[in-house]
Amino acid sequence: MAGHEKDAGEGLAMKQLWILLFNYRLRALIKKEFAQTRHDRKLMFTLIVLPVIQLMLVGFALSAAVTNVPLAIVDDSRTPESRELIATLTESKSFRLAGYYSSVGQLGDAVSQGKADAGMVVPYGFARDLARDRQTTVQFLLNATNANTATISRGYAESMIQRYNTGLRNQGIKVHFQPIAGSELARRGQAQLEPAFLYNPGLVDSWFIVTGVLGLLLILDSSLISAAAMVREREAGTLEQLLMSPASTSEIIIAKITPLFLLLFLMMFLAIGVLKFAFGVPFHGNVLLLVAGGALCILSGISIGTVISTFSKSAQQAQLTCFFVNPPLSSLSGALNPVEAMPKWLQPFTILNPIHHFATIARGSTLKGSGIIDLWPNFLSLLIITLVLGSLSVWRFRKQLS
Amino acid sequence: MRRMIAQMRKELTQIVRDWRTLALALALPVFLLLLMSSALSLTVNELPIVVQDFDGSAASNSLVDAFRASITLKVVSWPVDKTAEEALAANAGRAVLIIPSHFGRDIARGVNAPVQFLVDASDANTAKLVTAYAGQIATSYNQQAGGAQTGPIQTAIRLWFNPGLSSKKFYGPGIFVLGISMFPPLLAALAMAKEGELKTILQVYVSSIPAHEFLLGKILAFMIVALAECLIMSLLLFTYFGLSFAGDPTPALIATVLYAFCVAAFGTMVGAIIPNQASALQAVAFGGFLLVFLLSGLIFPVENIPAGLRWISSLVWGRYYIEIVRDALLQGGGWPAMWSKVLIIGTIGAIFYGLAWRGMRRMQVKA
Repeated sequence: MAGHEKDAGEGLAMKQLWILLFNYRLRALIKKEFAQTRHDRKLMFTLIVLPVIQLMLVGFALSAAVTNVPLAIVDDSRTPESRELIATLTESKSFRLAGYYSSVGQLGDAVSQGKADAGMVVPYGFARDLARDRQTTVQFLLNATNANTATISRGYAESMIQRYNTGLRNQGIKVHFQPIAGSELARRGQAQLEPAFLYNPGLVDSWFIVTGVLGLLLILDSSLISAAAMVREREAGTLEQLLMSPASTSEIIIAKITPLFLLLFLMMFLAIGVLKFAFGVPFHGNVLLLVAGGALCILSGISIGTVISTFSKSAQQAQLTCFFVNPPLSSLSGALNPVEAMPKWLQPFTILNPIHHFATIARGSTLKGSGIIDLWPNFLSLLIITLVLGSLSVWRFRKQLS
Repeated sequence: MRRMIAQMRKELTQIVRDWRTLALALALPVFLLLLMSSALSLTVNELPIVVQDFDGSAASNSLVDAFRASITLKVVSWPVDKTAEEALAANAGRAVLIIPSHFGRDIARGVNAPVQFLVDASDANTAKLVTAYAGQIATSYNQQAGGAQTGPIQTAIRLWFNPGLSSKKFYGPGIFVLGISMFPPLLAALAMAKEGELKTILQVYVSSIPAHEFLLGKILAFMIVALAECLIMSLLLFTYFGLSFAGDPTPALIATVLYAFCVAAFGTMVGAIIPNQASALQAVAFGGFLLVFLLSGLIFPVENIPAGLRWISSLVWGRYYIEIVRDALLQGGGWPAMWSKVLIIGTIGAIFYGLAWRGMRRMQVKA
């Protein structure tokens, strides 16, 4: 389709497309492909059932949330004050008690053996220092092998001890002494940060992940399956027969991808249903945007597969090449992790990645409720990626045949 | 024994003959390791945030400067006449800091002034990180300005094993395991399925080689591939990633050999049970890639998986090897922490071998 548009004017291309879509030959070819696809029960299964299972598995299983970090404790103070501090930490959702140890050395062993991911050492003079209004230092050890978990649990620990401090200060004011009014006035005011979480106030992790993985599955499945379908004809040696027929290359390609596209489209609807009903992703925006983005995403995935198939001689080679292409495509998409976490020089390349654009569209049109005004750059990029890859595959296909 | 070696040599010749396969076996894991270890991290740098300063006083300027000085956050410009929500909807920033008018006056009068921080929480993890960073910046701003009293309890936080909080060191060993879990079984499955597809398995049956020697020869060949990958990738880990053995390396070394056996046996098993190259490939992609990638604690901790699904992850062989490799390179817990995991890898490998043997007996019927 794209190949035809390239060498014709705009109006002519439209007319050609119209003729192309409604001519008898094409319809017959599509019918043939449908018949072939219908016989392939395994394909139907991998296309419809597997993605839904994968989406459920990934959405329920993957979460970057940091809760219940096992905390080992050395309490040298053994006073009500120290026990209160320990309870403040371990009773929270962020940490859970992994055990008491008698020395710092034992605590270190527990952390390195993985029995605990964090450790706290309350010093001997803790309660005494507090009673005398002196500063006291609590040591906190964190297993930092996972940088993300460590950063978040450090934040938890700091804010909890901060809160405990504030509680102490208020208590102190009540029991011990009345602050002099003058010093209160001389104090400078504080900037109080008041965070508000938009679009996902409950901070549900799975919403981010399932919207990203949806794009990932669309691209992975469509590229693998279209590569296999395109190459099968060549392997069986029936491609020559097709070429002997009066059908043009574009017609052959369009006929080949139509049933795949429809199947994948059906799969996408199922997946969107999973997002809505299994994960409760809110649909604040227009569902049509999501569907349109998904359709473009499928088309670009199919074009990736078609291009790959033109470089391969057998189904095995085509699938192996998919293995070369897909892992970097999925890990450099921002589907599972933020784009800002990638190295700087790789970040611009996300523009070439259909998964990235679809993830942005999916998150925008569901969670954020963005409209086409915000999302048009992503739609445009998806369209360009699809057209470029589509024409490349038609060109390669023709070149191979001549 | 001689027959086994011959079988192994035949497999290795077949691998070396095809450049695409050879590249897949040796170059792609290295490529993946370099690419994904840096691409996978969840810790962010230079997150764009939008600042709307409605005050413009000296106090508000110094607060904005405090945000500007941070490495993790990057202040980007946004037109004043557009709302904060529009900035988030257009993906201009991950968060918006709104400083109200009267901010400077309130602070000077000794009144606490609220500063709104709107966070795009569609990515919950990043939202938490941004909020934590912003909170730290605000606290240090208050302390510098002399407004906040320091509490009686101070925390001295020490980060063990990875004090620089480098994600590379955490993900490097994980991707190393992913590479080994993916490519050797892929090749093994294809080689085994091919025997079934091309019916060459019948020739094996009529030859004098017993099933065990045939299987072991095949597995040995792909173990060599796996160990070669291991060697290349660990060179990379020791040089580019700057990792070294943190403690006793013997558990990791023994586990590596067992794991190489485990993945080679897995691939052979899949090929024997599904004697069809395309379907075998899909099965390996599911087991070697998807399960190890998602359910082994490679990116997201296993503890976060809900209890109903967590049992699946305890069947994923890659999970134990990831723990062993991370322990050897980062924590150094040694045998007391790792002996059970080494044992489990060996057991899973033996199960795969048994299933491969059973599958091979049935292949004769199918072929």
